[in-house]
Amino acid sequence: MKNIITLFSFILIITSCDVVEGPYLIDDGGITPVDTSSNTYVKKVLIEDFTGHTCPNCPAAARELEAIHDVYGTQIIGMALHVSTGFASPWTGAGKFEYDFRTKWGTDWDNFFDISNSGLPRGMVNRIGYPNEHKLGKNEWLAAVITELEKGIDFGIRIASDISGGNGTITINTELLNDVNGDYKLVVCLTESNIINWQKDGQTENEFYEHNHALRTVLLDESLSTSSSYTAGNKFERAITVSLSSLEQYNIDYSENTAINGSGNAGGWVAENMSVVAYIYNTITKEIVQVEEAHLTN
Amino acid sequence: MKKIIFLFSTLSISFLGFSQEVNFGEIHGDFDLNMQSYQEDNLIGAEPADEIILNNAYLNINYTKGDFSAGLRYESYLNALSDFDDDYKGNGIPFRYATYTIDGLEVTAGNYYEQIGSGLIFRSYENKGLGVDNAMDGVRLKYSPVKGVYLKTFIGKSRTYFTYSDGIIRGADGEVNLNEALNFNSKTKIIIGQGIVSRFQLDNNPKFKLPQNVAAYSSRLNIINGGWNYSGEYAIKLNDPIGSLTSEGNNYANGNALMSSLTYSQRGFGIVAEMHRVDHMEFRSERAQEKQYIINYIPTLTKQHTYTLLALNPCATQPEGEFGTQLDIFYKIKKGTILGGKYGTKISFNFSRISALNGGNSFLNDNTEHTPMLISIKGEELYFNDINLEIYKKINKKIKVTGVLAKQAYNKDVLEGKTPGTYGTVNSTIAIADISYKIKKGHTVRVELQELLADGGDGSWSMGLIEYTISPHWFFAAQDMYNWGNHDVKKQLHYVNINCGFLSGSNRFSIGYGKKRAGIFCVGGVCKEVPSSNGFSLTISSSF
Repeated sequence: MKNIITLFSFILIITSCDVVEGPYLIDDGGITPVDTSSNTYVKKVLIEDFTGHTCPNCPAAARELEAIHDVYGTQIIGMALHVSTGFASPWTGAGKFEYDFRTKWGTDWDNFFDISNSGLPRGMVNRIGYPNEHKLGKNEWLAAVITELEKGIDFGIRIASDISGGNGTITINTELLNDVNGDYKLVVCLTESNIINWQKDGQTENEFYEHNHALRTVLLDESLSTSSSYTAGNKFERAITVSLSSLEQYNIDYSENTAINGSGNAGGWVAENMSVVAYIYNTITKEIVQVEEAHLTN
Repeated sequence: MKKIIFLFSTLSISFLGFSQEVNFGEIHGDFDLNMQSYQEDNLIGAEPADEIILNNAYLNINYTKGDFSAGLRYESYLNALSDFDDDYKGNGIPFRYATYTIDGLEVTAGNYYEQIGSGLIFRSYENKGLGVDNAMDGVRLKYSPVKGVYLKTFIGKSRTYFTYSDGIIRGADGEVNLNEALNFNSKTKIIIGQGIVSRFQLDNNPKFKLPQNVAAYSSRLNIINGGWNYSGEYAIKLNDPIGSLTSEGNNYANGNALMSSLTYSQRGFGIVAEMHRVDHMEFRSERAQEKQYIINYIPTLTKQHTYTLLALNPCATQPEGEFGTQLDIFYKIKKGTILGGKYGTKISFNFSRISALNGGNSFLNDNTEHTPMLISIKGEELYFNDINLEIYKKINKKIKVTGVLAKQAYNKDVLEGKTPGTYGTVNSTIAIADISYKIKKGHTVRVELQELLADGGDGSWSMGLIEYTISPHWFFAAQDMYNWGNHDVKKQLHYVNINCGFLSGSNRFSIGYGKKRAGIFCVGGVCKEVPSSNGFSLTISSSF
């Protein structure tokens, strides 16, 4: 009997609680972002934020992404993919939400990873967890980021962009830091920030919402090497010729001719606000093992 | 897993090899299979399944010998039915347990379901229809030290799909029946209870302070005197921010919930008056997770209708904030009176109203603080309103009739989580006639005629059902729901379903074909969205 009383007392004691008093914000943010400007390679994380301009809860996810970026600095790279007919179609003739942020690649990835069917906003952090646990709500991103940042890196990526007047070359250099086996692909994208356009935000419709990291185009998605065996010190270089006007027209045509309820209103790119995002992923697990970002124009 | 199979194999062999005079205990089990084909139907938005057929199946096996029992459940989702989350995938034995009782102490290890009070702070349960199963995996003790005093405590992790949450859940509950414990006889019986639940999860947030141990308490009281019965429960959940890196994403306010119910009943008459107020009370097994991780339960305060059109727009409990009242009256007009006739007449009246809290739920962070008024009904946003009258009358030995009239208001935006202003509130008037006619011994035909007139949502509906039962083995049913009042002419569609079933001993087989509309399916205020579908279904259930 004494043992039982002791046991119940023990359980009662451990079912305790913490009451947190304000201020709740830790003054120094609790963390010092890693300096990624030096020459050494640093583990970085891609957060793909699947969103839509008529998705009222999506700006909260964008703010969460920015908040994570504020804490971890340039180790966090964001990408906003406007997807789904319901939340991303343009409202042609409505005087609002008329722009079409969708892209062929965003739609393809949405279909492949089955994101928007589970509701927006939703995202992937380095695409970890595929195929069953990769679709993360915005409040799950932080824990996934912490896990990812603790991982080591096997690939180093350097981006050199030489774009002038909308034309030029982007060069991606990849360096093996360790011996690695497996099939990997290199993907190179362009994203654009500071796009002022309509966005539903909770119960309001904001005409002057700032859209950041919006996926514009994919320049490359191909195997890093024909070999499945990589040795530390291996280096690969890819040079990609870029014509922004052609790429922009491709998106306009996609919106006008292919996208459901599309309108062709998908232009107006501003090169100065664009970034190059390059990442390497494992073709089996789909995990993005390293990602890098650089301004398109210097 | 291998050990479990070995255990059951050994037990089975033992049964075959030994005399029946030796008590080796008993094995019981039950099996459920739900299989459905999915064909494309663009009109109703039904999508085909790549697999053509989807399937859910469950097998429970329980072994009992005296005060010892053990069991398991095998679950198979190949792949899960379309109204289940994709994360239910594959086969497994996610539920297994062993329990024994000795000298008043019950010990359970493995999986178990548990509830504290009415579930305001903790409820672990499964409902296959909803796709909910948050079984615990851990240890539970129950003990009754003296008559009338019941204690229980548990620790474990809560199941979601085939995995368990990061959070560790600890709980304890004590219930005292004062009459039994103090050994006094009185017309008035009093039962009191106190429960506590705490979730532990590491604080991994680099920017905001988070509580690692989040506790919830509840106190309850039940007083019974003759036909009167009062029950009340009050619960508090302490600070439980989700752990966002944005200030507005973290709500440090305490949650609370109050339930109160007064019942009076006597032969042929009963009345129930209830209210509840819920404020920021959703409790999840893991911080920053979605509704599949909920570990508490706020009972709904609206009538759970069974007729299709009455349940077309069901009320989903809003655990983050709502105020509700309900009045339920039952009266049976006596036999031999003008209105009662030869068999008497049963009348049920029900009224319920659910509305928002004043200014929304409690909220607290570094920049904002809001606490809604304790009671504020007038002017608050209406979530749901239902007033209905049901009359049941046995006309003669062959004919029974049920009639229902109802008026409902359904805030589609809030209750279905849509953007405010998308649909607004659907006001509907519903009439039901249910006639059962006994043709001859064992042969009964039942007809339902239902009409719903609505000014919003999907508009007006009609429904007809005919069901023929040849007891005890066969039943046949056909029904048609017709959305004739849909504002979109293309969606003025028929949803026809036919079913037949065969019952033999402990086995039940049912096959059907039909179209299901996309909608909301609720059980006890817990709801899920169901996609439209078109195809054949096969259901088999069996027990031994």
